[in-house]
Amino acid sequence: MTEALEWLQFVLAPQMINGLSIGVAVVLMALGLTIIFGLLDVINMAHGEFYAIGAYLAVALLGLGLSFWWALALTPMLMAVLGYATERGLIQRVFHSKDRHTLTLLLTFGLAIVLEDVLKIIFGANPLRVETPITGGSELFGLFFPNYRLFVMVAGGLLIAAVWVLVFRTSLGAIVRAAAFDRHMSASLGVPVSRVYAATFAFGVALAGLAGVLLAPIYSVFPTMGRDFVLIAFSVVIIGGMGSIKGAVLAGLLLTQVQSISSLFISPVWNDPLLFGIMVLVLMWRPRGLFGKLGHA
Amino acid sequence: MPDKQLNPARVPDALRLFSLLFFAGALVFALVATLVGDVFFLRLATEALIFGGLALSVDLLLGRVGLLPLGQALFFGLGAYVSALVLKEWQASFWLSLVVSLLASALAGLVGGIIAIRSKGVYFALISFGLAQVVSKVVFNTRELGASDGIIGVPGAVVVPGLDSTAPTGFFLVTLAVIFLIYLGLRYLMDTPFGRQLSAIRTNEDRVPFLGFDPWRYKLLAFVGAACIAGVSGALYPMLRGFVSPELMFFQVSGNAVINVIVGGAGTLIGPLYGSALLTGLRSVVGSFTAHHQIIIGLLFVVVVIMFPRGLIGYLTPLLQRRLEARRSRHQQGEQ
Amino acid sequence: MESILSVQGLGVRFGSLQAVDDVTFEAQRGKITAIIGPNGAGKSSLFNLISGAIKPSSGQVLFDGHNVTGASPDKMLRSGLSRSFQITNLFFELPVQENLRLAAQFLEQGRGLFRPLSASTRAHERVEQLVEQFGLQSKRHELAGYLSHGEQRRLEIAVSLAARPRMLLLDEPTQGMSHADTRETEALIRGLAAEHGLSILLVEHDVDLVMNLSDHVVVMHQGQKLAEGAPKQVRGNASVQAAYFGEHH
Repeated sequence: MTEALEWLQFVLAPQMINGLSIGVAVVLMALGLTIIFGLLDVINMAHGEFYAIGAYLAVALLGLGLSFWWALALTPMLMAVLGYATERGLIQRVFHSKDRHTLTLLLTFGLAIVLEDVLKIIFGANPLRVETPITGGSELFGLFFPNYRLFVMVAGGLLIAAVWVLVFRTSLGAIVRAAAFDRHMSASLGVPVSRVYAATFAFGVALAGLAGVLLAPIYSVFPTMGRDFVLIAFSVVIIGGMGSIKGAVLAGLLLTQVQSISSLFISPVWNDPLLFGIMVLVLMWRPRGLFGKLGHA
Repeated sequence: MPDKQLNPARVPDALRLFSLLFFAGALVFALVATLVGDVFFLRLATEALIFGGLALSVDLLLGRVGLLPLGQALFFGLGAYVSALVLKEWQASFWLSLVVSLLASALAGLVGGIIAIRSKGVYFALISFGLAQVVSKVVFNTRELGASDGIIGVPGAVVVPGLDSTAPTGFFLVTLAVIFLIYLGLRYLMDTPFGRQLSAIRTNEDRVPFLGFDPWRYKLLAFVGAACIAGVSGALYPMLRGFVSPELMFFQVSGNAVINVIVGGAGTLIGPLYGSALLTGLRSVVGSFTAHHQIIIGLLFVVVVIMFPRGLIGYLTPLLQRRLEARRSRHQQGEQ
Repeated sequence: MESILSVQGLGVRFGSLQAVDDVTFEAQRGKITAIIGPNGAGKSSLFNLISGAIKPSSGQVLFDGHNVTGASPDKMLRSGLSRSFQITNLFFELPVQENLRLAAQFLEQGRGLFRPLSASTRAHERVEQLVEQFGLQSKRHELAGYLSHGEQRRLEIAVSLAARPRMLLLDEPTQGMSHADTRETEALIRGLAAEHGLSILLVEHDVDLVMNLSDHVVVMHQGQKLAEGAPKQVRGNASVQAAYFGEHH
């Protein structure tokens, strides 16, 4: 009996805590992706790169002598500007075409290629490390929490809650949802639709960048980090249901837990296959995901 | 994106001219290169053709059925590995290697297709992407397949006694013949009821069942066909380069294939071949100056998607067609 | 007079709304049967149930002896039941001739799938017949998307007829048509039934058209069958009149 408890306390629990802290960041990223899809009907294949840019921005700001906290605060703002510019400058240009879905997919895919190489040019191909801003750990409920991870969980959780409130409980969120639902009607009601779209995209990108900053001290920062992360982000969104915030949160937390716990039993090589396998099964059983609405593809 | 004006009822003469230009041009190139004694460019061009085959496989799905595959390199790499193994461990025969790779690709295509074909749009793209990610990671970690180093020391494949894949000109011509046959096959297919069904599915899949056909079966067949084309093209790679590595299955290869297709002209079949030729050349040229050739290709691609989504051949064909028809009517008037 | 289509106790629920409630009727072979009713009566839902677009919560549909309840569209067609669409659902990017050829290919029963198009002689003959019958000669090489609305509606019906079904389900065939086009379509439909022995079931808003055209009328109201019978009978039926004129149009 005590062996089982010890296993729970010293083996399983740390993995779950790990999973939770990563899960929070994954959820933030998936939220950005699902909001962009749900409200703009755009599939942002460059989302992983924005995540990477967020992490690199943090590295750059730290390199300028700023503290991690400044980086954490400034990066989302800078990312939002980048996102706004990307939407107005690039995505708008193919938005009105009949082939919009394929074209935005291709466009953001091309953008991802460019951005990844840009990062490589500016920062080099070698992984960079970001110092953990809060060291040490605390013991709560008999379990050991590394302090930084604790921070990520709490801060991330608060941010997720804030996003939910923003989208569903504020008039800003209502405007955005209206613009997504019926752009012509909204426009004739005086809503600056194209600006709303750009702002929404910016918001989604900012969330990805934020995830990048939060996870930077945990994983190292390297140019292909975006591409590796994009699969899990999309899997979460697909499993949760494209456009569903509830789905992104639930699927994000669940899947990262599955990953963390399974890493106790199987080698990390099988991480991606496992995730992918889950995604395929969900798609076969329930093509619109757990909470998604039909009609989006 | 496929051009509405490319009337599916008959292949425009302009398109036929472009096809002729491509293959004739390839022959001329081979002649010149041989006379000059070049080896490097012949091999590069052979590689361009091999990736052209992969591009054809993507175009079948993207340009004809309307599915975007982001992981077609899976079948390409599979074909390459199978070919390498056959050549190295069994017999260095060109024909044997092709046949075995074809069978392996067909089987893999069937399995992959059953998983992927139920989905459309971004879901399909991601499943295709995911499949390639997963399999390439597994191959990367499999020691028996050489892990990250892959398989090296693959002998030249014997086509006929006296001609094997180490001969630059000879193998270039053999590859050209293979790609030409694949191209012809696809061209023919487009004017069969099967090919037309694929276009119908791309145009308005919802109506197709009401015409009495189950789109799933057609899409699956097309997927298997595309897998076979990719696999056969991949099988030629170790014959050319003497090795295979997991990188052949990586996203870079899949992504490049999609770029080749879009830049060349999706749906035109010959466009992707042009695209592959141009971009392989471009990558090589730029790559000799800097390691950052991806950004240039990426930028070019973004520009094409925004401003010329129909691609090079997609845009040039109607233009040339108009010229040809104007000339024809002037001719007819002249005769009267 | 024999029944070709038998709808028995058909019903469907959307959440708390019983859109179609226990509807039973028969359509006779070679006759034109129409389903009418005021807005929201459940005509479209009933039509979609019969054609397999939505699965019923109760009841069944028997066609020519086969149980086709909730069957997939391709299975329906293979049983001999075809439908046209209210919102024109053609292959707009393809020429008129190609639209017809795709639909007529069904007649080849999977033969010649990988042979050149010219080998599908049955399909090509059918296309010629349809082009003739529907007056589309001058438009055969036009992209379907460039046709006028009336021409598209005609093409829509032609496409649904191409496979030589035994029964045709027409979903609001004169939707959005001008008066002249409506008269033409009415004549067309009458001709189809008369000359080719085709059984037709149609859903329509245009009550006059239905009264002129149909042999048998089924009136829907609030999801239920209110009345059925020959046009004259139904027209004189007090509850039918109340249903229509009791509402604001």
